[in-house]
Amino acid sequence: MEHMQSILQVERVEKTYGGGQHGVAALKGVSLEVEAGGFVALMGPSGCGKSTLLHLIGGMERPTRGRITCAGVRLDTLNESERARFRRKSVGFVFQFFNLLPTLTVVENVALPLLLDGVSGDVARAQALALLERVGLSARETHFPAELSGGEMQRTAVARALAAQPPLVLADEPTGSLDSANGLQVMQLLATLNRELGVTILLATHAEEAARYATRTIRLRDGLIEDPYSHAAAL
Amino acid sequence: MLPLCSLFHQFILRALLREKLRTALTILGISLGVGVVVAIRLANSNALGSFRAATEAVAGETTLEITGTAGRFDELRLRELSWLRDYGRLSPVVTGYAMTEPTSATEKKGEFLQILGVDILRDRLLRQYDLLQLREGDREPNAREFLLLLADSQAVVVTEKFARRQGLTLGSTFTLIISDRKSEFVIRGLLRDEGPARALDGNFVLMDLAAAQWAFQRLGSLDRVDLKLAPGVAVEVAEAEITKRLPQGLVIVRPAARYSQMEKMIAAFHFNLNALASIALLVGLFLIYNTVSISVLTRREEIGMLRAVGTGRGVVLALFMGEACLLASMGAGLGLGLGQLMAKAAVQATSTTVETFYLAVVNPGATQPLQGVEGAMAVGLTLLLALGAATRPAFEAAQVAPLEAIRGPERLLKSRQWSWRAPVAACGLLILGGLLSRLAPVNGLPVYGYSAALALVLGGVLCTPIILWTMCRQGDRRLIRLPRLLPVERLLARASLGAAIPRVAISVGALAVSLAMMVSVSIMIGSFRETVVYWIEQTLRADIYARPLTRVTSIAEGDIDPAALALVAADPAVVAIDALSVQRVNFQGNTISLAGGDYAVLFDHGRLLFKAPQDAYDQLRRGIGRDVVSVSESFALRFGKGPGDVVELPTPLGLRPFEVIAVFYDYSSNHGVAVMDRTTYFRYFPAARPSSLSIYLQPGANPEEVRSRLASAVGSRYLVVFNTNRGLREEALRIFDSTFAITYALELIAIAVAGLGVMATLMTLILERRREFALLSMLGMTRGQMRRMLMIEAVYIGAAGQCIGLIIGVLLSLVLIYVINVQSFGWTIQFHVPMAFLAQSTLLILVAAAVAGLYPAARAMSANAAQGAREE
Repeated sequence: MEHMQSILQVERVEKTYGGGQHGVAALKGVSLEVEAGGFVALMGPSGCGKSTLLHLIGGMERPTRGRITCAGVRLDTLNESERARFRRKSVGFVFQFFNLLPTLTVVENVALPLLLDGVSGDVARAQALALLERVGLSARETHFPAELSGGEMQRTAVARALAAQPPLVLADEPTGSLDSANGLQVMQLLATLNRELGVTILLATHAEEAARYATRTIRLRDGLIEDPYSHAAAL
Repeated sequence: MLPLCSLFHQFILRALLREKLRTALTILGISLGVGVVVAIRLANSNALGSFRAATEAVAGETTLEITGTAGRFDELRLRELSWLRDYGRLSPVVTGYAMTEPTSATEKKGEFLQILGVDILRDRLLRQYDLLQLREGDREPNAREFLLLLADSQAVVVTEKFARRQGLTLGSTFTLIISDRKSEFVIRGLLRDEGPARALDGNFVLMDLAAAQWAFQRLGSLDRVDLKLAPGVAVEVAEAEITKRLPQGLVIVRPAARYSQMEKMIAAFHFNLNALASIALLVGLFLIYNTVSISVLTRREEIGMLRAVGTGRGVVLALFMGEACLLASMGAGLGLGLGQLMAKAAVQATSTTVETFYLAVVNPGATQPLQGVEGAMAVGLTLLLALGAATRPAFEAAQVAPLEAIRGPERLLKSRQWSWRAPVAACGLLILGGLLSRLAPVNGLPVYGYSAALALVLGGVLCTPIILWTMCRQGDRRLIRLPRLLPVERLLARASLGAAIPRVAISVGALAVSLAMMVSVSIMIGSFRETVVYWIEQTLRADIYARPLTRVTSIAEGDIDPAALALVAADPAVVAIDALSVQRVNFQGNTISLAGGDYAVLFDHGRLLFKAPQDAYDQLRRGIGRDVVSVSESFALRFGKGPGDVVELPTPLGLRPFEVIAVFYDYSSNHGVAVMDRTTYFRYFPAARPSSLSIYLQPGANPEEVRSRLASAVGSRYLVVFNTNRGLREEALRIFDSTFAITYALELIAIAVAGLGVMATLMTLILERRREFALLSMLGMTRGQMRRMLMIEAVYIGAAGQCIGLIIGVLLSLVLIYVINVQSFGWTIQFHVPMAFLAQSTLLILVAAAVAGLYPAARAMSANAAQGAREE
């Protein structure tokens, strides 16, 4: 297998919520590495720590112990505003419940990361429209999220995740709220974007159908990686 | 009942306790509203109450009073009234006001005392004197002691309270100022702090009839004769019989008539104050509506759950009505206490106006505590209004279906749509307001004027959602294409606000109401001030004005000795003097001023601004020596008289017809003034003395120098105050500004209450949007961007409130100026918009709104990406 440049390194990361005797350990020392342009599925039952790991990689939370380097940035050394900037530029998020701002139109939702980054309104709008065309929602640009179907909302969320052209997209159960047809469509979209744009995708899911689109699968159980190389070895 | 109580505790009480700040803001808002209403009510009843107490206390057992048609009458006429003894006991009375010496040079006036001069031996049969102390330790004066009181023209009886305050005892000598003279008196008796002595906070002096006549320089004249009917004589019968038999120039009245006359005069002023104070309460009720609405809107899912587990609609309704009741009763309870505390300030704030225009003396120290019944009524009324305010949101809550409650997207979709019903109702109300403003007053009160104002306010409030919607929609369309300042923050702020219109519209509406009142009142006061300034400039033409020391206001008593007038006239710099004599008389049940001035001096030196007719000066010239009068605008409006009409004015010779030949503008009093030339005036009031002097100087004379010269020449013998033209103008505007100070204070309170509402709304919105903030944080929004976004939202709320407030405010100011003011006070005011003030206040509102957004923004920033992520 040709060695590719790594975009994400997670080293002995632990995450404990709460302190003292009542602390709950969500991650108990996870290490992994993801190569740029990869499509990695993170699988495991509910409560195994998938989402927590995604949140740590996305710079939304700090690990209790360990080190995370993403796109060349050491996340554990960043302050609040630097982490905000990191989230804005370096990662895109796709969630189970779409998490679109209900008060913004489709195009505004997609343009939001760009606007937050100081891109001018016209440029942001043009880029957002281009992305909407790519995800097949050009006709829906002025609609509000409440006027879209679940699949359309998730495709909007995918477009938003790609707006700032981040090297890494974190998708947390993106098909969890969709019927199978829409779920399939979203996964195909993610796979296409991964292939055509070269964006790295880290997918947290417990659905085998979704994980099939990934080029590598990592299984988590009780806050630990079950068998880090099993699937990679099979590839 | 028990499950409901338990549910109320779990569902409502806990939520209120969880949202401590919002709950506290709502209760504080209501308490401020109730407090202001209670304070104004107490202040109003204090002003009237002290007058009533004084009237009743001084009246004693008097059942009827005989007085001259034009006030005082000659005591020789008593002989014509000997037949009155058939009806009961009689006691002639001389009464008036005296002033204590100002305690320091900076004080312009001392304490005012009501003097009652009676024939004490006769009067004992009408008034109780067993509270009188003439010797140390002795409370039962005998006839001889009373006679001794008669013998001494300096002897007076004062109240123990007054004596204590002034550090005086039995036998002490003290000085009183009556008109322009000082007189020494000796305390021969003390009245215990009961009965009459409680009137006017103890500022009451009793003296012998002749001594009072001497002190007031009214030898041979009486103010009235008090009559105590014999047992078994019916008042109505006696009144009717006596009226028939009374000789010309005398009338019979009941003592209470003076009170009701005063009540009538002050009613419009009190009505306006009550109406202004009620705005704060109205805004407080908006808060109740707001709080319950938000409670329902933000807890639809919980309501749905309750409904899903079998809770009936009635219970849901009762829960939210109960929430309103709880908030209202807590607010009202607090407001009662607050009102008592604020009452004293309200009395002080209104005393200048009351003393300038209505009552000679307001007793600031004795605000009566709120009666239990009144307190209960205030709480009951607030509860009732609160229930009314909460009805709509509570019914909405009751309509929530179990499934509907959990359909978030549908709710969002609904919030973006708005009904045409509100704008249509708004138009209807605005038209109704216009129609109501054209109706005549009811019993002299601008009831329809205020109804019109209310209709305009409600119409304006109903426009709030559409204005907010338009503002936000325009933002949605345009912002993304406009690379201007803070585009993303503005985009998000407008989008969020647009979606939250049903939640924020009420608080924006409440803010708009109070801002509209501020705008309208400032336009009204600004216009009034401009008008008064113009009127002063046009009519105050004399170089120096003089008045007796005791005439501190236009209704206070006092006249100038002819010798003092002669001293003024003797000054070489003085070229003309217009000596104005004023008599307060009863005209058609109202107190008016009947004045006599020197038309010749007016033509040569002075000036009046006439409303009608155009050739008023010619009419006046032709009217010299004839029974004609020119009347003030308030007289003309109040009594519906104009040029060519005939009015029957009271004179010592009885009612006499006078033709109205002109109507002039007068902003010094709203009671109504009828002025005649001095030749006519002295024909009817030969003993009249000047009440004030307008002194005109030689060209080039220095008014300040002449004023000093006159003050030293006259002041050594008479207590006459000389003011230069400039000094009088400043004084007039000082009184004007202090008169309206309370108006601004009431407005500020209403704005504060509305501000609390806006803050409470922002807090609620922020709680509701925690997930949105977390999402924005995930997408990389910095804390600074979030803070700016929320401050922009707050500024938009302030801007929307001010925008609507300005529109309604201008409409309201038209109603205030052209309807309410004219109907209440009979003054024409020229419309003038104080642009600078409005620009300043708009800026202030926007800054204040931004500051009000700071705390909610700080709360919002505590919702970070991690929280949002965990919730996911």
